[in-house]
Amino acid sequence: MSFLESNVYYMGALGLVLVGLLVILVRHNLIKMIIGLSIMDTGVNLFLVAVGYSRGGTAPIFSRAASDPAAMVDPVPQALVLTAIVIGVAVLALALAMAVRLHGHHGTLDMRKIRELRW
Amino acid sequence: MVSPVLLIAVPLGLAFLIPLVGMASRRATGLMPILACLFNLVAVVLILPAALSDAIVVRIGGFAPPFGINLYAGPLGVLFAGLIALAGLAVSIYALGYIRRGSIRRYHLLYLLLLVGANGVVLTGDVFNLFVFFEILCISSYALVGYFGDRGGLEAASKYLVQGAVGSGLLLLGIGILYGMFGTLNMADLAARIGSSGGMSVFVPLALIVSGLGVEAAIFPLNAWLPDAHSSAPSPISAILSGIAIEVGLYAVARMVMTVFGAESMMAFLMFLGAATVLAGEMCAFAQRDVKRMLAYSSIGQVGLVLFALSVFSPGSVAGGLFQLLSHTLGKGLLFLAAGYMIYRSGSRRISSLNGMASRMPITSLVFAVGALSLIGLPPFAGFASKLMIVGSVLARGGTMLTLLLGAVLVGTLIEGAYLFGVVQAIYFRKTPAGAEGGRAPVSAVVPMLLLAALIVVVGVWPGPVAEALRAAASDLMDRTAYMGGVLP
Amino acid sequence: MTLEMVLLAGFGGALLTWLLGKVSARLRNGLAVLLALGMFVAVCLMHGQSFQRLLPLGFMGLRLSVRMNMLSWLFAVLILGTGLLSVIFSLRYMRGRSRLDYYYFTLLLINAAMLGTVVAGDLLTFFICWELVSWSTVLLISLKGTGRAISAGLKYMVMALAGSLAMLVAILSLHARFDTLTIPRLAELLGAAPLGYVLFVTVLMSAGFLVINALWPFHGWLPDAHAEAFSPFSSVLSGVLVRKGLYGLYLLVYVLLGTGLLQRLAWGALSYLNVMAWIGAITVVFAAFRALVQDDSKRILAWSTVGQGGYMVLASSLATELGVAGGVFHFLNYCLLSALLFFVAGAVEHRTGGTRDLNALGGLMRRMPVAFTGAMAGVMGVIGVPLTNGFVSKWIIYKSLLSEGRPFLAFAAFLGTWGTILYGYKFLHNIFLGRLPDRFAEVRRVPFTMALPILVLTALVLVFGVLPGIPLSAVSAAGVSMGFGSLGLSVWGITTDTGTLNVVNLLAAIVAGVFAVWALWRGLGRSVRVDQDDSYAAGMAVPRQRYNFTADFYGPLRRIIGPWAGDAADALLVGLARRTALVSDAFRKLYTGYVGSYVLYILLFLAALIFVQITWSPWL
Repeated sequence: MSFLESNVYYMGALGLVLVGLLVILVRHNLIKMIIGLSIMDTGVNLFLVAVGYSRGGTAPIFSRAASDPAAMVDPVPQALVLTAIVIGVAVLALALAMAVRLHGHHGTLDMRKIRELRW
Repeated sequence: MVSPVLLIAVPLGLAFLIPLVGMASRRATGLMPILACLFNLVAVVLILPAALSDAIVVRIGGFAPPFGINLYAGPLGVLFAGLIALAGLAVSIYALGYIRRGSIRRYHLLYLLLLVGANGVVLTGDVFNLFVFFEILCISSYALVGYFGDRGGLEAASKYLVQGAVGSGLLLLGIGILYGMFGTLNMADLAARIGSSGGMSVFVPLALIVSGLGVEAAIFPLNAWLPDAHSSAPSPISAILSGIAIEVGLYAVARMVMTVFGAESMMAFLMFLGAATVLAGEMCAFAQRDVKRMLAYSSIGQVGLVLFALSVFSPGSVAGGLFQLLSHTLGKGLLFLAAGYMIYRSGSRRISSLNGMASRMPITSLVFAVGALSLIGLPPFAGFASKLMIVGSVLARGGTMLTLLLGAVLVGTLIEGAYLFGVVQAIYFRKTPAGAEGGRAPVSAVVPMLLLAALIVVVGVWPGPVAEALRAAASDLMDRTAYMGGVLP
Repeated sequence: MTLEMVLLAGFGGALLTWLLGKVSARLRNGLAVLLALGMFVAVCLMHGQSFQRLLPLGFMGLRLSVRMNMLSWLFAVLILGTGLLSVIFSLRYMRGRSRLDYYYFTLLLINAAMLGTVVAGDLLTFFICWELVSWSTVLLISLKGTGRAISAGLKYMVMALAGSLAMLVAILSLHARFDTLTIPRLAELLGAAPLGYVLFVTVLMSAGFLVINALWPFHGWLPDAHAEAFSPFSSVLSGVLVRKGLYGLYLLVYVLLGTGLLQRLAWGALSYLNVMAWIGAITVVFAAFRALVQDDSKRILAWSTVGQGGYMVLASSLATELGVAGGVFHFLNYCLLSALLFFVAGAVEHRTGGTRDLNALGGLMRRMPVAFTGAMAGVMGVIGVPLTNGFVSKWIIYKSLLSEGRPFLAFAAFLGTWGTILYGYKFLHNIFLGRLPDRFAEVRRVPFTMALPILVLTALVLVFGVLPGIPLSAVSAAGVSMGFGSLGLSVWGITTDTGTLNVVNLLAAIVAGVFAVWALWRGLGRSVRVDQDDSYAAGMAVPRQRYNFTADFYGPLRRIIGPWAGDAADALLVGLARRTALVSDAFRKLYTGYVGSYVLYILLFLAALIFVQITWSPWL
């Protein structure tokens, strides 16, 4: 297996994180920033899953007689990811709710214009 | 013997009772945070003697540490929980009278969750668990900053959210890398394994975690959210964010860097960062005309001072840093609470609108002065003892570089003295503007303020016992072997 | 009563006064006077005691302690005496003003804390009391509530805080090195310390003391603060509060370092004591000229306080028994004199409806005889006219400067005295002599509780001038407790190797001189009383009210020295503060308000961390 092949998930995950961060940096619209956050979150979650993934592995169910412990994928990252996704969704929802209210106040979501608090 | 789990479980349970209680009586919801804090306070008093002598390790679900999640209730964690309960109690009493608009139930629910998150962070012994509690803390504070739904609050909250979310993304990435490298999430286990490896591969997660946690801990270039959030939040929330949230962030940074990574070589860098944070915070506060924004920047300065003291990394200075943290919690909490009602009565956050407040709100002004003098570090208030401890231990450590950095930090203190005294003078000596409205603060505000002020004086006059307890906490933070040995049999 | 009880009574009583004020103003005033009196008497009775003992109080594992010797006793008695008189003076002066509970509380707190400063047995106790004084003082300076009072308070606070931070570093570094802060123990241990370290500690601590003692270039806070404080407090501020810096210097230089170590702190002509002496000399001359150009009665006195402080440091830096005695005695004398003069200025201010402008006053001699007597004695004393106490201390100072062979320093001291004569006369003339403005024609006499302190101090000034042996015995004992030899004293004067001062002879000479002048005047005098309108207007009828002898006093002189009498040192410090404000204002712009840039900061921080690690790998 080439380096690229064995690390493709990590690269994809980190790529997603970078894309997300880039979106946050270059976009001025709050909604787009939130989308960037979401992309970044996805990247992080993918990274976590990739940590525990083993190619061709089986589900980690010990009661099944034929299962080989070495071939099982690591279940811990999956549990982590579930939690992280839940948290991510909560943040996302809160962010969007705030965006709606913010638009009500300012009439825009361009963060370059929403700069009443500074210095 | 009370189990430390209850320190988290009881507030969490009460938090979820709030909607139920709220169906019966809206006013009763406000009592739940008070109840939770009182319970925690009592529990901490019961646990503390045992924790001071030997850290209590609780295995959740009965799994042995490297596999299950464990709580680590050492001197540091328990003292922190006590501090959270204390500040939380003061603020929740204050909120009874202050929070009258919006959905009161939701406010108290979120507030209690914030405390749960803070308690969890300081007690947990598991990295991912730390992340989860951290997120509970952060999400509830995002929501609370924008709680009134006003223009400033929402702007601050959404900016805080974006930065906080980026930070926690980095944190989670760091944790993921750690798990990928070592296959464990338990702090003690990680510490044991990291000790045997090193180099670049460990550094990447360390850098990610420091940057991620640093956002909440308000370390210098990462703290841009803080002045907005602290100044725009409702005053009790400003108090708790300044008094608890950043401190908890700082705790997490210290715990990760010192105990888990044992990165002593990074201390010199953190020291610079701490001094830079002090200067940055104090300089920004210097020219502020908005009292809450000034206090918020001053929090940055104080956090820098704590970071500086912690990263000098001698037993005395770490204890001094923790002492400074304590006196900052009491002092800044008090200042925000006092400023809250002054602003409420005068209708403006400008310092000039506080002119002559002393004649209209004598008690509030008095406690404001006490808080300010304590933050500047003047006797006989708590801040003096902590400043003494920090300066003394830094000098005991010696070295030209360190002395110069100390000089920079003290210049920061001087600037802080200048602007805080300016506010105290405005409150006490400037003439009241014509047609200024006034009226004393209600009992629900005066009681917690007097409580905090009394604590500041008591700790300032008898700092001995506190300093002793904090020395134990400092060794809890610094002694990796004891930490590992305590968790892993 | 033991010293501990006095301190306890001082702090507790201050609080009690505040609480009692909520009940009854009369009780509060009574308690304040009683407390100040009781403390004064109790400490007076400790004359001659010498002890060092631990207090039943600890702070962070260090035991606090008190000590008493003649140096402490002298400072303590003067502090409490001035405090007592100022409380008495306040009774009337402050009547009818608001926030008196607060005023008396702070005044008594400062009184007790200053006592604590000079009787502290270890540097931690010293520092705690020092800081208590620092912050409570600012609360009294700003109490008047005008914009100038507030900025004066702030200026004082910042400078005092800077000084005390320097001191804190020095004290804690002593603790870190020697693990003790007890004064006698430190004095033993410092002898063996490396010279560089001693210099570090000495410079830091001296900076703190110089700020409080208001010596050039750190004098900037004092004129503002004195002018803006209430007069009774000004006299405390000027008489004793600034002199806790002097006490600190004595403590540092002669008690902690000792003359042996001081001689080692020298590199050719550049020695620590020389630097101090020259700072003192510059202060003397500079302050005298600054005082000349002032038009505010209290500002003149404030600059005079700066200048006289210079004399004290100048003389004390000679490290001879005569020099130190001159410094201590001048402190004692000027404490009485400045308290007296500030009381006079306060009494005038009180009766003239708050007038302090020297261009607007004049001719009050007949209206306020008590105040005039006080002012006369005070000004004479500050100038150093024989038969006042100031003469004796200045004589000692000149004597010691000349006998040590320091002509330039002596010239500076003389120059300062000439300036003192000029500004002293200006103060006296512009308030009490010349024509009485019509609007002050009905000014009433000084009320009793204000006259009493003035008269007591006037009497002391004269008694100590005629019988200098009485105070000098205490001064000599204070010198002995700092390790110097005792002076050759008689009740009438002092004997040194190179000359003798005997006030009896002086008295005889003066009486003879006065008699001669009187005889000449009687014998040759053919004077005619001429109305002023006659002599001046030369027949033209100019209304009396148009004459003003006080406006633009010393005008030509001021125009000559004006360009030279600028306050560059203060301007520099104020400029530094302004610059800091500008820089921090610019720095603030880092927080742009745009959330994208904030996220960029986070990422840049992370990138910088990783970059540093890749390039230099300093960590892990």
